Amino acid sequence: MQFFGGTEISPSLPASTASGNNGHMMYVFNRNGVCLLYREWNRPLHTLNQQQDHKLMFGLLFSLKSLTAKMDPTTPDKANLGVPQLPGQGCSFHSFRTNTYKLTFMESPSGIKIILVTHPRTGDLRESLKYIYNLYVEYVVKNPLYTPGTPIRCELFNTTLDQYVRSIS
Amino acid sequence: MPPVGPRSGDAIFANVERVNAELFTLTYGAIVRQLLTDLEEVEEVNKQLDQMGYNIGIRLIDEFLAKSNVSRCVDFKETAEVIAKVGFKMFLGVTASVTNWDADGTCCSIVLEDNPLVDFVELPDTCQGLYYCNILSGVVRGALEMVSMKTEISWIRDMLRGDDAFELQVKLLKQIPEEYPYKDDE
Amino acid sequence: MYCNRLYANKPELAASRIDAIGYQVGHQLSERYTMERPRFTDHLDAIKFICKDFWSELFKKQIDNLKTNHRGTFVLQDNRFRWVSRMSLDPSENGDLSQENAEAAENKAVQEPNMHLHFSCGVIKGALHNLGIACAVSADPSQLPACSFVVRIKP
Repeated sequence: MQFFGGTEISPSLPASTASGNNGHMMYVFNRNGVCLLYREWNRPLHTLNQQQDHKLMFGLLFSLKSLTAKMDPTTPDKANLGVPQLPGQGCSFHSFRTNTYKLTFMESPSGIKIILVTHPRTGDLRESLKYIYNLYVEYVVKNPLYTPGTPIRCELFNTTLDQYVRSIS
Repeated sequence: MPPVGPRSGDAIFANVERVNAELFTLTYGAIVRQLLTDLEEVEEVNKQLDQMGYNIGIRLIDEFLAKSNVSRCVDFKETAEVIAKVGFKMFLGVTASVTNWDADGTCCSIVLEDNPLVDFVELPDTCQGLYYCNILSGVVRGALEMVSMKTEISWIRDMLRGDDAFELQVKLLKQIPEEYPYKDDE
Repeated sequence: MYCNRLYANKPELAASRIDAIGYQVGHQLSERYTMERPRFTDHLDAIKFICKDFWSELFKKQIDNLKTNHRGTFVLQDNRFRWVSRMSLDPSENGDLSQENAEAAENKAVQEPNMHLHFSCGVIKGALHNLGIACAVSADPSQLPACSFVVRIKP
């Protein structure tokens, strides 16, 4: 029983090897496509206004998920391309890499999507995103002043997150 | 990297810091009593408890998912099992079982033999019609709604009404897929 | 703690309800925890019981600092109060531009956590009442995650 918060964050901190500063930016969306959080650490170039930027990112994930599920050679019955899926339905991607950045993605069954854009040479960040999801639970969901579904404005979460992302290698 | 399997409810329950059990039970009792005084109508109290539970459920689901490592909740049968076995253990420290499936797998019962909410509780005659633990039905409803399952939940058995266990009937109404939230011409 | 949003549109009423719920709980708990003890000799004795035994039962830690003016006012400070340990505010609203804004933000920064602290105040009040001490309790959350409770004993 621990409705009243104050738990240790699990899983424990993933081990990092080299020193960090590899994080470019991060997005958190909820199941309704609301951008709960956008945080940037290193992004010299902005081409779009923020709203368009968020929409583009969400659209990318939405289409890519639909595409990866459609292309799945192991599952026989699949919905048509573009048909909405349940969060967690079908297979999904967890990261892609370009020559200038790497994007890592995770989605919880409750439809919380966390996107972390980093330096292209960063390693497997799946555990890191899980850890960030745990931070979200501790510092956002358990903050009694936070209203679910609204943009996150929690100082405690931001500072903890910044500190963690700086350590990612 | 090998996939990490879901953690058991016992393991999580052993790991988290817990709130004093008496404090928890007495607080819930005090809330119910205050609601009874304020709202007078038992029906209205049931409704408020359910709503409070719902508000808790929509938050609790993320903690449940994050700590249990459950990575998908698409199948209703699997989800009901994991909520009963892991969820109830994790948050209430008791094990619940899932029974009474109907033929098409959309309706089942969650049965609780032990329930910390009702320690020290005895209902007076004036509270006929009160579902004392109605907050639980709200929690389950809210949590399931966050994993795309719209459900209807009702009490079948209630120990405070002389039954031998608590039984919640969970009926799946529909599963709501994720829509693309923006219009194309925006 | 999540539950207290019920009377969101009636803050005054909500505060008194939450306080009342806390009071019932504190009253019952202190009854349970003092069953085997001799009666307290004076106010300070009872307050010390709240700081040590009572707080330890609830939070597995004691109150960190106790101050008194020796005229019936006690200040109990918990440097890391568990019920507000995850509470944090909008950074953009603090340290804002104009004087007026800053004041408004500060007001908000105190008011919102306060609503959630009425429960704790009620618990302390209820517990002391059960020990035969009538008092008023208020909370000061301005130094989160530390929190101070001011107990004023009624003469």
